[in-house]
Amino acid sequence: MSLRPGGLDDEFETVSAPSAASSKNANDPALWVDEHGDVLYRYALARVRKPDVAQDLVQETLLAAMRARDRFAGQSSVRSWLCGILKHKLCDYYRKLGRETSFTDLEFLADECSEKFVPEGFWVHMTGPKEWRPEPDEVMHREDFWQTMKDCLSKLPERVATVFMMREMDDVESKEICAILAISENNLWVMLHRARMGLRECLALNWFENPAVHR
Amino acid sequence: MKGPWRDWREWREWTPNPRPADDTSAFQEHRNRLQLRIVLLITRFTPRCPEVVRLLSLGMDKPLALSTRLKLRIHYLMCSFCERYAKQLKYMRTTAHEFPDKIGEVSDAKLPADIRKRMKDALKSDL
Repeated sequence: MSLRPGGLDDEFETVSAPSAASSKNANDPALWVDEHGDVLYRYALARVRKPDVAQDLVQETLLAAMRARDRFAGQSSVRSWLCGILKHKLCDYYRKLGRETSFTDLEFLADECSEKFVPEGFWVHMTGPKEWRPEPDEVMHREDFWQTMKDCLSKLPERVATVFMMREMDDVESKEICAILAISENNLWVMLHRARMGLRECLALNWFENPAVHR
Repeated sequence: MKGPWRDWREWREWTPNPRPADDTSAFQEHRNRLQLRIVLLITRFTPRCPEVVRLLSLGMDKPLALSTRLKLRIHYLMCSFCERYAKQLKYMRTTAHEFPDKIGEVSDAKLPADIRKRMKDALKSDL
């Protein structure tokens, strides 16, 4: 490589850039920032809500990816590989958060649940759950559904949303979440229950039962 | 249709779970007194809806005892709301799992230019 004249190096750049862009970018970490930075940032932002923390997480992800890029075997796309690293970085961040702050959030929704039920302990019939249409595999292609999902997740209290996303998006087992966040299993279940209750309610109101949404 | 078999509605001020119009559970409306007896029996031996909903969420994270699962099944016979709730929990699990792949399309957040530059510099200095 060192014997090669400088001119050839330039030529190599211009010829290969348009044609073999994807395979080349896998080896060029500087291009990751432009190609995957925004997507990683959007995901991180949905998870931690603080722009500065999200930016740091993206940077750490890219740095970690660069150091480990020899181990990237290319079975999956660069993006999903980077997303996997970001998930680990998120876990580290939560672990730190669990150590530093008390992570339980038990005040939320104490009263909001009760108005869904009559005092005898049954659903209020006008506001009870209605059937959700269409089926999940159809809803996957609906951009407005994902928009609603994103808005609803951001409306949940942050810590409640965090445990929900760890459980349902990262597939972390409940025991592991408890260990990472240093909370008891009972507290975790209460928080997950509240997250599901709140998210279900929000999705139903804003999408599934919203007459303005074309389904 | 109005008829004498519906008179129990006037005798009682409140009955558990009269059905919504699009109901699919077995005891749809409490059309006769026998069905009402069955529904009342079920409410006596199975948890009420707020508890059922709590158990359903718990069931998403750990296996429930067989007796609990049976009670839920029996509860569904008279409560399609809770049955729907259970379905919707699974619905949310399926969709939330895809969320990381979709967030890039629905969010318009962009890395600020200075942060972008900072990252590139960090990557270069580490190379």
